[in-house]
Amino acid sequence: MALQYKTIHPVKYLRDFLAHNVRPDGRGLLKFRPMALNVRSISSADGSALVKIGNTSVICGIKAELATPKAEEPDRGFIVPNVELSPLSSSKFRPGPPSEEAQVASQFVFDVILNSGCIDTKCLCIVPDKLAWVLYCDLVCLNYDGSVLDACILALMAALNTVSLPEVEYDHEKSTTTVKTERVPLKILSMPVSTTHAIFDDEVLLADPTCEEEDLASGTITVVVSEGKLCSVWKPGGSPLTESQMDGCVDRAKNRVSSVLDLINTALKSSS
Amino acid sequence: MFAMPVDTKRIQGPEVSVPYDQFLAQQSQQSNEEAIGKERIDGRKSDELREIFLKTAVLSQAKGSAYIEMNNTKVICSVFDPREIPRKSEFSVNGELFCEFKYAPFSCRRKRGHQQDSEEKEMSAYLKRALEPAVCRHEFPNLQVDVYALVLENDGSALAAAITCAGLALADASIPMFDLVVAVQMGISITGKKFLDPTLEEEAYCFTLSGSDEKGSFGRVTAAFLPSLEQFSQVVQDGSMVTETYVEVLKELAHASKDAYRLSQECLLKAVQTSKEIKNAEQKN
Amino acid sequence: MAAMAEDQHVLRKMFCEFDVLSCPDGSAMKYRNRSCLRPNKLIIDKACVEAVYRPKVGQPRVADKTKEKMIGNTCSSAILSTLYPRTSVSIILQEMQNSGGLMACAINAAYLALIRSGIAMKFLVAAVTCGITKDDKVILDPDLNKVKDCHTELMFAFDSIDFNIVAVDSSGQYTEEQYQKALSLCKEASNEIFDFYRNLVKKYACCI
Repeated sequence: MALQYKTIHPVKYLRDFLAHNVRPDGRGLLKFRPMALNVRSISSADGSALVKIGNTSVICGIKAELATPKAEEPDRGFIVPNVELSPLSSSKFRPGPPSEEAQVASQFVFDVILNSGCIDTKCLCIVPDKLAWVLYCDLVCLNYDGSVLDACILALMAALNTVSLPEVEYDHEKSTTTVKTERVPLKILSMPVSTTHAIFDDEVLLADPTCEEEDLASGTITVVVSEGKLCSVWKPGGSPLTESQMDGCVDRAKNRVSSVLDLINTALKSSS
Repeated sequence: MFAMPVDTKRIQGPEVSVPYDQFLAQQSQQSNEEAIGKERIDGRKSDELREIFLKTAVLSQAKGSAYIEMNNTKVICSVFDPREIPRKSEFSVNGELFCEFKYAPFSCRRKRGHQQDSEEKEMSAYLKRALEPAVCRHEFPNLQVDVYALVLENDGSALAAAITCAGLALADASIPMFDLVVAVQMGISITGKKFLDPTLEEEAYCFTLSGSDEKGSFGRVTAAFLPSLEQFSQVVQDGSMVTETYVEVLKELAHASKDAYRLSQECLLKAVQTSKEIKNAEQKN
Repeated sequence: MAAMAEDQHVLRKMFCEFDVLSCPDGSAMKYRNRSCLRPNKLIIDKACVEAVYRPKVGQPRVADKTKEKMIGNTCSSAILSTLYPRTSVSIILQEMQNSGGLMACAINAAYLALIRSGIAMKFLVAAVTCGITKDDKVILDPDLNKVKDCHTELMFAFDSIDFNIVAVDSSGQYTEEQYQKALSLCKEASNEIFDFYRNLVKKYACCI
């Protein structure tokens, strides 16, 4: 019976749950789903991590390549993050070029890397104006069940922590490159953690929403915290929120940081 | 010179970048090739499959899904509910399968492009042909079932893994089927050595023609088998092969797929049992 | 055309012209608005609001899609979309000149266009940008010269009823304190933009 009710009147179905301060999956309104993390899962990548937040799962693989730095920034390497919302992950997505949502997610991840300064692209430069590393960070969503941005940032940061780059020698006279077998771990300067809330019925805040909840929500807000500072508060429209509601989101985002970092550290320790 | 069209829907890196492994000191490759010629690096017998890990219902958003792991070859598959065939006006008696085979950008030694390339399109077609005979397509006329296979890591036999995985995912999605589909690959080197379920290195070795007469058989064969019907649904072969060798290889593949079939069955059985247990537990509560 | 205000706590002068399509406050915008039926994106019980953002030069890229989402969502939150079933509202923005505060300007321009088009809305929205300088000062509506001194830029959009927060966008790193400071400053400044809206409507009421 519940299933039919949900199909016919999804909004009312969710509202009935929320009236009792509980969500369809049994969580409290401001509770987060359990997370799981596996690092170094892909041996063909230079760094990788598989993240699950509830049912949402995202895999991140990082491939390093060599390139010539840009003329306007001769002492910097590149980080190229791309989020792929593969048709595998949900019936919402079709094969073909990235949807608008995927593009927005890619840009969001790119901005977080830039704003948090988690990687100094200067460290990725080997010889100024000649040779630099490019890190292609591909985030593939395997199961799309809400809060994908959070999962993406988590997967990316965990994967970046597993990257180690081989030492490179560059001969200026012959302009030849030799790659050695010794590897040096990538320097990570900060660890941004992202937290998403959904707004339902213009006033109820739901932490870490599932796909169902996101679909019915009248807006979302994503807060990224890095080293005690905010590095992104992103609320792309939707229902207006009061200042205290916003502050609540920021506070919960801050409180969540330690548990996420613990998870990453435990996963990294157990794999090395 | 043509400028490459810029993909404005993805974040762009530098125009040209090269993988670093080509600058590595080249010594290991030669010795590896010699080693493969003698015996298999992972210590398997020539007719031994890698250990297979199978799991169904791994993704909640799909109707059916499956994951297969054969050492370092990892493939994930999802299947969705039948939906109307897009852009089709006339009635089709049989339902259609839409199959997409994709390598994740980080799955291979070289970085893969985001867009489906010609190899992936070819693989998609093979996947479709391998699955179609197993599905009761007459049960969903005018509808299409989407099957997506994503290779997370490729260490040889990716197509075979994808077919087995997709067969399981179809079963998990409760799509009516005549039989399960399992696929196994075999590689033959010019020296006459056979590799069942080859790794990436062994696959490459099968195509090195150095120091040999051109008449021998070499290449690889992937066969999708419907085990209880004892029929092949699709055989993909590349390289060149003497007819007798080819027949022999097919026989061996049919035999080997029985092992894979047993594992698939066990996996499905286990899935049914656990879902039954969950239901029982729910009823008790 | 746009005079630069010297005081750090004053918005730059705004300028808007309807129909001729220009609204420079340093960053100039041309905007247009139309309603029509679009069968591919049809929603049966309400209007579909979409924004199209065109950069000054070249093809729209990934970053422009993010802007589109920001503008589109910010506008759709105010539009009484249930009044216009099976309709699509397209807001088309063309960047003309960027001298800082582009996003805020785009949102304000979109709202002015919505006012002009007469689409029913729950409230109006005003967007304000501010920057945090290296010596920890919060300055309102920085132009391109001042942006260079800022490590952080924040954009807030407020509704006209309770001055609640409709949209937030940021670049750079900042503490919660700085965030609060910026928020209150922008909130105050949003009044000025609502006044600007009001004056414009007054001025154009006779000819609209």
